[in-house]
Amino acid sequence: MYRYDTLDKEFLADRSAEFRHQVARRLAGELTEDQFKPLRLKNGLYLQLHAYMLRIAIPYGTMDVRQLRQLAHIARTYDKGYGHFTTRTNLQLHWIKLRDMPDILDALAEVDLHAMQTSGDCVRNVTADPRAGATAEEVDDPRVWAEVIRQFTTLHPEFSYLPRKFKIAVTASPHDRTAAKTHDVGLALKRGRDGVLGFEVMAGGGLGRSPYIGQTIREHLPVGRVLSYIQAILRVYNRLGRRDNKNKARIKILVAQMGAEAFAREVEAEWALIDGSQVDLPDTELARVRAFFATSFETRPAISSIFESAKQEDAGLARFARNNVHAHKAAGYGIVDVSLKAIGETPGDCSAEQMEAIADLAERYSKGEVRVTHEQNLVLPHVALDDVPAVYAGLKAAGLASANINLVSDIIACPGLDYCALANARAIPIAQDIAKRFSDPDLAERVGELKIKISGCINACGHHHVGHIGILGVDKKGEEYYQLTLGGSGAEDAEIGKILGPALPAERVAGAIDDLVEVYLRERRDGERFLDTYRRTGLQPFKEAIYAEAH
Amino acid sequence: MRALTANRLIDGEVVFWAKGRWVERFADAELFGEDAPAEAAEAHGKAQPTLVVEPYLIEVVETDEGPAPAAYRERLRALGPTNTPQHGKQAEGGHDIAVLSHSTARARASGGRTKLIKR
Repeated sequence: MYRYDTLDKEFLADRSAEFRHQVARRLAGELTEDQFKPLRLKNGLYLQLHAYMLRIAIPYGTMDVRQLRQLAHIARTYDKGYGHFTTRTNLQLHWIKLRDMPDILDALAEVDLHAMQTSGDCVRNVTADPRAGATAEEVDDPRVWAEVIRQFTTLHPEFSYLPRKFKIAVTASPHDRTAAKTHDVGLALKRGRDGVLGFEVMAGGGLGRSPYIGQTIREHLPVGRVLSYIQAILRVYNRLGRRDNKNKARIKILVAQMGAEAFAREVEAEWALIDGSQVDLPDTELARVRAFFATSFETRPAISSIFESAKQEDAGLARFARNNVHAHKAAGYGIVDVSLKAIGETPGDCSAEQMEAIADLAERYSKGEVRVTHEQNLVLPHVALDDVPAVYAGLKAAGLASANINLVSDIIACPGLDYCALANARAIPIAQDIAKRFSDPDLAERVGELKIKISGCINACGHHHVGHIGILGVDKKGEEYYQLTLGGSGAEDAEIGKILGPALPAERVAGAIDDLVEVYLRERRDGERFLDTYRRTGLQPFKEAIYAEAH
Repeated sequence: MRALTANRLIDGEVVFWAKGRWVERFADAELFGEDAPAEAAEAHGKAQPTLVVEPYLIEVVETDEGPAPAAYRERLRALGPTNTPQHGKQAEGGHDIAVLSHSTARARASGGRTKLIKR
């Protein structure tokens, strides 16, 4: 874990004191709401339907136990005892009071947390592979680069008033768990033919009103040059991005209109003007940052007899192992996914008690580290296989042992109209309905990998465009309707889903998912996931199943 | 019929205008049958920027059980989120909450709230 130094800590304390003063001035009437709004948003404070919402940054989704316990304390003291993990790996608290905000920022700063980069037209919280430093798939630790980019972009004066918000993801594995191609900039660490480490730089991806898959603008960027290259991209975007129309201001529109090649040429020309020595970090500094992420592992046998025999005795643990425990780079260790998708619960929600239970387990069994995934789950990245039965038991006691990672009930859902001022329809009850319909774990496993993603409006916080099944809430004359898309993917084979047909009323959605799954089970060939079958058959059989009655 | 609503500045609580003051329960809100007093109340509300944020008028319909906001979004604001019935104003329960929960009025929401959030 990266540790803040004295300078960082003083900076956070100053920032918190500044906001305390701003809140006091707003309450005293010295600042109007129009003057205050941009100030509170720069500290992650939104006003939603029922209360203020505070979005706390969790840089590249990495937390230590001290931070998670403090988040639990804040949720319990200043909110209603729970938080909501988001697709940007942040934590949202939905019942915040303005008068408490200065104390909350102080409490966050105590553990090196804050709410910068969670709002506004700046570079937002940088995300990275939640299995960083734990998976054998990766060619390097993406957290090193995510941290460097975080430091470079945080409150960078040149990039604080971009045409629109800007999201960056860093992955280092062939299997992309960051949805890099749906980001303004996706960085994929790869080794060139000569074995030299570099970034494939993808730009112009994004979801929302106009979804685009990011396009490669440079195949192999020397890793040490990443900051100057990002600076060049941001400068081109700052100069050429549209500011006249908010809906067309994201970099995806610029890249689409210019064409990726022309955009890349602009970036390269801009990059050539930058003195890299003034921007790119020297190797010594990179090594200093890298050292924070070094983790040592004990020598263990690859197969754990304790784990193997426990699985034999406990079918629940065996199921958990099949779905939630993944290969670790160190022999005898596993990566344990903690599902925040218990059947019937709100996707991504985690109570203060659950946060503390996870922190306790991480402290004892996972080298004190917890990760957040963009699919709204948590990860214990370094668990010895011998300890998986104990971790499972601890999770089960906390109501966190749902063995459904990547299955039909592992649904992404934005807060939707239940909380959000922008939403047109609710997302959470739809997710709950679907999860209940597939609550039989045998059925869910038989269906296999199926990513359902739900957004309550076209802004697509629930990533519906890239769901194997995407669900978009729309307002039809005051009623909640839901438009289904099929065939999306946010992974390395990223694709925007295609609209299935006319939107359905809320009560028909879960049944329609059932019908789609039926078609898949009927049509699938050996080893095909839902997405594979869809790609082979196309929309037609699925469309017929849902809209047959209409014809 | 219309009512005036806002969020209270200091804590974000949903509030409604009632004869010169802000109340937390929709059942206690003042209902305006005429435009002039509604707009006068809105002007009063807007002149209280240290008490509330962005007051706006909402449509209210008369149901069999009593008055309720016409738009689902506004009923949600008057009740609380449907995924956590223990949170928000709905936690109080009783007749006044039931009126809002049972209402099936289907008006489009006003744009009022969308102005509050900037990403």
